[in-house]
Amino acid sequence: MVKGIGKSIRVYVVDDDESVRHSICLLLKAHGCTAVPCDSAQHFLDTWEQDVPSCVLLDIRMPDMSGLDLQDLMNRRKMRCPVIMLTGHGDVPAAVRSMKAGAIDFIEKPANEDHLLAAIEQAGLFLSDQPAPVLPPDEVARRLALLTVREREVLDHLVMGKINKQIAQELGISQRTVEVHRSRIREKLEARGLADMVRLMSGPLGST
Amino acid sequence: MNRQVDLTSCDTEPIHIIGHTQPFGALVAADVHSMIITHLSANVQQYTGHPASELLGSDIGDLFGREQIELLMQRDLKPRPPQILQPWFAELRNGNGDLIRYECLPHQNGDTLIIELLQPDEGPADAWRREGLRQRIISELILPKTVEDLADMAAGFVREVTGFDRVMVYRFAEDKHGQVIAESTSRPDSFMDMHYPSSDIPEPARRHFMLNLIRSISDINAEPVPVLARGGDVAGPNSDNPLDLTYSKLRGVAPVHVEYLSNMGVGASMSISLVSNDRLWGLIACHHYGTLHLQSSCLRFCEMLGGTVSALLQNLENTNLLERRIDAEQVAFNMENGARDEMDLHATINSHAGRLLELTGCAGLMLRVGGVTSTCGETPAQPVAWQVLSPLVEDGIAAHDRLGALTPLTRDQLRLASGAALVELSEDGEDCLVLFREEYEHTIRWAGKPEKMETVGENGVSRLSPRGSFAVWRQERSGCSRPFTSIDREILRIVRRVLFALNSLNRERAAVEAQKQAEAEQARLHLVLMDAARHSAMGELAGALAHELNQPLAAVTNYVNACRQELRNYGADISGSVGGLMERAVQESSRAADLVRRLRNFISSGELIREQVDLPGITRQAVDLALVAANEKGFIVVDMDFADDARTAFADPVQLGIVVLNVVRNSIDALRESQQRRITITAHLRDDNMVEVAIRDTGYGIEPTVADTMFEVFHSSTTDGMGIGLSLSRSIVEAHGGRIWSQPVESGAEIRFSIPLEKH
Repeated sequence: MVKGIGKSIRVYVVDDDESVRHSICLLLKAHGCTAVPCDSAQHFLDTWEQDVPSCVLLDIRMPDMSGLDLQDLMNRRKMRCPVIMLTGHGDVPAAVRSMKAGAIDFIEKPANEDHLLAAIEQAGLFLSDQPAPVLPPDEVARRLALLTVREREVLDHLVMGKINKQIAQELGISQRTVEVHRSRIREKLEARGLADMVRLMSGPLGST
Repeated sequence: MNRQVDLTSCDTEPIHIIGHTQPFGALVAADVHSMIITHLSANVQQYTGHPASELLGSDIGDLFGREQIELLMQRDLKPRPPQILQPWFAELRNGNGDLIRYECLPHQNGDTLIIELLQPDEGPADAWRREGLRQRIISELILPKTVEDLADMAAGFVREVTGFDRVMVYRFAEDKHGQVIAESTSRPDSFMDMHYPSSDIPEPARRHFMLNLIRSISDINAEPVPVLARGGDVAGPNSDNPLDLTYSKLRGVAPVHVEYLSNMGVGASMSISLVSNDRLWGLIACHHYGTLHLQSSCLRFCEMLGGTVSALLQNLENTNLLERRIDAEQVAFNMENGARDEMDLHATINSHAGRLLELTGCAGLMLRVGGVTSTCGETPAQPVAWQVLSPLVEDGIAAHDRLGALTPLTRDQLRLASGAALVELSEDGEDCLVLFREEYEHTIRWAGKPEKMETVGENGVSRLSPRGSFAVWRQERSGCSRPFTSIDREILRIVRRVLFALNSLNRERAAVEAQKQAEAEQARLHLVLMDAARHSAMGELAGALAHELNQPLAAVTNYVNACRQELRNYGADISGSVGGLMERAVQESSRAADLVRRLRNFISSGELIREQVDLPGITRQAVDLALVAANEKGFIVVDMDFADDARTAFADPVQLGIVVLNVVRNSIDALRESQQRRITITAHLRDDNMVEVAIRDTGYGIEPTVADTMFEVFHSSTTDGMGIGLSLSRSIVEAHGGRIWSQPVESGAEIRFSIPLEKH
């Protein structure tokens, strides 16, 4: 059950896969949200109502217009509708790109229920002009200080959109080691995923 | 005087229609059809008793008797040098009716019958009479083994037979200057070894020496006898009706020659041509310091002697040539044999260098084959610019005995390479053998400075005079090698023949080898690209599979979560076993998704190795590969037109090749049933610094229903394949930061994609 402000906004679910679209809508409805299914980017553009506060769950890979293309278009049209990216396979460069283009969050399928609801909650906060609970800089600094030099290097590469294999090659370590570093970083930063890390690092203390 | 004094000016003197004869005989000429006498020497009455005016225009049969003339005409009278003189003993009646016997020399030149009447000999020449002399001549002449010995012996015999004060044998060098190689004389001075400039014997005279093998001048100061034509005019160079005296023995002496002989103090002379292998090899030149008239039979004997010497000379020369040729062929054969085991020409030359240098009279050689240069023997430390010989090449060979005249040479270069021969070993002249000849310092004793003086006659016509000075003039010759003779060239030709053949063979082998390597490399690239394509396709497939499998897994998770939430909403207590089961269902879905993801990561290589690539090159290779793979090479026209600023891109060459390969494969499929089969590939640079490549075909085009999904995996528009190709292309292009799309066109299909021009 969505506790807060997330319940008051309309959630558009844009995915070309019928069962995914349907199941997400059903899940959101069970949590008391208003979900509107759209089977394509165009369908969303046709259905979207400017006056109703809303956010969009956007599948990154779709025929015709991809999630990223739609996000670009929405930015150009200055549509006030926060984007939460969904992807079927962890496409790191795409994730980074969408985050830089202003996506609220980036969620890998199958979506973790809590993660999904938290993202919607955050979208609601964004729309109500209430700042998202931003970690105080000294807290970010404290967490970053926990990282070893190597972990910091790996993190820097991650937020540049590099995948494990590239990082392993550039740092001269194995992919397995990168994965270990990655999970340590996640623990130390108390981040849920890549999106959190990118957001954390885009603050004044991040290097990128 | 604006005309240059040119030593060869007398080459144009018309000596064959000189218009007068020497006075030691008479001449009568008649037309062979009418038998009417057309010309005669003015002294004819002295010999026949009939005045010239009476004979000119009359039938020659009236003079010699019809029967005799008919018999004469049955002979073959056309001169065929080196045929020897065929005297005709005729009887004729003088004006008083007395019968006179003459030795005549008849010949036919064109339509003119010329009969020369000589004073009858008192008896046969001494040489004919003396059995001993005849035997000696025959048996001894065949003994010499060298040209010089033969010449020496010939000079002695001629002097013995004729009684000339001096008999010399000249040999003409290839530059036509003469050298005295043998001399027999009663005088204290000697001309032995003297060199005479080529201008001493003008070109017309040389021609006459070939046509008329013996010529005698009994008295250079004798009054010439004019040759008269009908009407009484002198039949000389200015006449409308001159008489060609080319084959005449009585032909008058050119004033310039009289002067020349007179300057030397010579009063009578004789020359016998020495002809070997159809060229004027030399002369037996005889000088007498008074007058000397030779009997006709003596002249014939000398002619026969000359012919014999010529034949022996030719034999000696040919034997020498043959021996050297055999040597050359032997060396050539050995090189060819050796080359069977040794493919490298450098090694072949190296192991035969000694014989090769000996054979060609050279001190060192340089071989350049396949861009590699090697040397053998003695060669200048500082390489010689032998390339200056290239313009002189004839039939693959050029030689020069004075390289310094073509290119500046240092002292060291002069010493070892005054002369050089270039032997081309390939059609393009890239491969060659250069042989160097050492400097040959020597002194030439010229019989007087080689020059003639021009004098202007009373009538203002300039005329050349022969030189007056015969004082020995020494010329020190340096900076040149021994000359390359025609035999040397022949040897070089033999050497070239075998080396050229070996080199061609090697080049062919190398070309085949290179072709094989190129094919192997092509095949390897083929494999790499195919492998990469397959690998990428697998990665793409894995990605697609992950995506496709993830969808239902995501849906299952969502449904279970939704279900649990609904139960909670209705206040159902699901904290117990039902809640646990639902949680397990969600966990298992996650685990399945993880497995799929790991599978994808395992197969997919994903990363790009980007560099600045040659766009037309990669495109051409991918197109070739697609055509070859489809067995369509040569059956589809492929046009490529890349704008000058769109010939490179910043991309992974292999991945980019896969994009082109996949798009072109689809085009080839679409062209299968087409009449016109053409693929056009163009590229241009866009304003946003992206290179846009368009691949267009004349096939059946893209169906509208397919157009939307053609870049999606599993949406194959082609009958075979799984439809990975275009989806993969899209992944690759997008990973490069570009886009791929189908451009609507009127007929056929056009796929375009963009990639960055350079790293940014």
